[in-house]
Amino acid sequence: MPLAPVNDHVTMDQLTRDPYPIYRRMRAETPVVRVSSVKRTFLTKAAFTKYVKDTPEIFSSNDPNTPMKPAFRAHTLMRKDGAEHRRERMAMQMAYTPKVIKQDWADLYRGIVDDYLDRLPRGETVDMFTEICGPVSAAILTHILGLEGATTEQMQRWSQNLIDGAGNFGWKPEPFAVSDKANDEMDAHFASLEDRHLAEPNNSAFSIMLNAKDPIPKSQIYANLKIAIGGGINEPRDAMATILFGLLTNPEQLEEVKRQEAWGAAFEEGIRWVAPIQASSRLVLEDVQIGGFDIPRGDTVMTIQASSNRDEDLFENGEDYVVFRDKNVHQAFGSGPHHCAGAHIARRTVGEIMIPALFERFPNMSLPDPDAVKWRGFGFRGPINMPITLN
Amino acid sequence: MVKVIYVAKDGTRTEVKAQVGDTVMQTALDNDVAGIVGECGGSMMCATCHCYVDDAWTDAAGPRKDGEDDMLDCAADEVKETSRLSCQIQLTPELNGLVVHLPEDQV
Repeated sequence: MPLAPVNDHVTMDQLTRDPYPIYRRMRAETPVVRVSSVKRTFLTKAAFTKYVKDTPEIFSSNDPNTPMKPAFRAHTLMRKDGAEHRRERMAMQMAYTPKVIKQDWADLYRGIVDDYLDRLPRGETVDMFTEICGPVSAAILTHILGLEGATTEQMQRWSQNLIDGAGNFGWKPEPFAVSDKANDEMDAHFASLEDRHLAEPNNSAFSIMLNAKDPIPKSQIYANLKIAIGGGINEPRDAMATILFGLLTNPEQLEEVKRQEAWGAAFEEGIRWVAPIQASSRLVLEDVQIGGFDIPRGDTVMTIQASSNRDEDLFENGEDYVVFRDKNVHQAFGSGPHHCAGAHIARRTVGEIMIPALFERFPNMSLPDPDAVKWRGFGFRGPINMPITLN
Repeated sequence: MVKVIYVAKDGTRTEVKAQVGDTVMQTALDNDVAGIVGECGGSMMCATCHCYVDDAWTDAAGPRKDGEDDMLDCAADEVKETSRLSCQIQLTPELNGLVVHLPEDQV
């Protein structure tokens, strides 16, 4: 079979500004394509991305030679396969279960959301992205992880520093200098909390990992916490902002969502429409074919779940935000062994608590100028502002 | 081919024909059976294919697999003695007629 065609013209800047028209064209014309500017083979159809994620024996996550390692100062579970990955993941998974959220945290989360909403002025236009979506996500994660004492400003900055470092494929020194500083701060904060978590075991991720019968090494406990910080703030933040945009620009759907209390469906549709994590990389371990093309061993494929989520084979009007779909089998949480560990938390915190609380408090809030909302991102994507008038 | 019967929380029974060797989860997805999500594709990482094996079939379905207990703790609905992740039940000729009950919530 031939090698996949090469796309020499799409730039990283175009993909960062608005990848969706590019993906739509790729799905129609070159669903498997080597993109020169990104040095990856893009897979843009749902069947291909699911196959790759579900077949870790051929498509490995284990790649210690990415900037993630210096950024996190660890080879993290995100970049491991098999038993080693499972052990490190399961070490913290209990903290992310529906049961723990319901029993231990739901009331606390509601309180946090209310606190932040109390601070908002009525009758004014507020950037909900910076005032609510970011800090509430950070505040909630602080409790889930057991990192009390860290401010939402710190949590958000650490998260962004880790992400910037992990995405530093140009291997420039500055982003690593910044992530090093964040790592120092995080390490010191984690160390200051250990004794308390050991003395008073609780259902936070840190405590569960420290108090396990057969704990994973300290270095990996810290690495797991950093992965959760890097992956647990921007995604709920971006999901929340995207859902607000979707509902406020589709008032008939919003009315129906309120009437049926279909917040869960509004959440699922938001992350389908603009998946907070748009793309993932996998290293190809053996020669393989995808969509009629040879993919050689050693290649790196990129599953574009952002595109799969709008694949015409699965979705009608996939480019639009449509809450009441018959089926919504999106891949926003991925698939396979690396399926998002925070999926249950995200569904409950964003879908069941945060979004309904916002509309309950400000039932007539509006987005006066949808064109003022700016969207950014290739690997991670969402709005970067959300000027909403509260009333 | 073997037969699998899925009983929804509201009592609705869906009977489908399945291939020996397929899992109870994959069979549900292939036949559009509502109530099984199977979001991680059978990697035992999401607990959204939770089912309760009918009392008459628990022996034939066998014990839980390695790691299944821990993942069941992540299920959205109540975990009972008969709880299994349907991605871990592979169909054999002996399971012809298997009945599984579905929980109210998977996510």
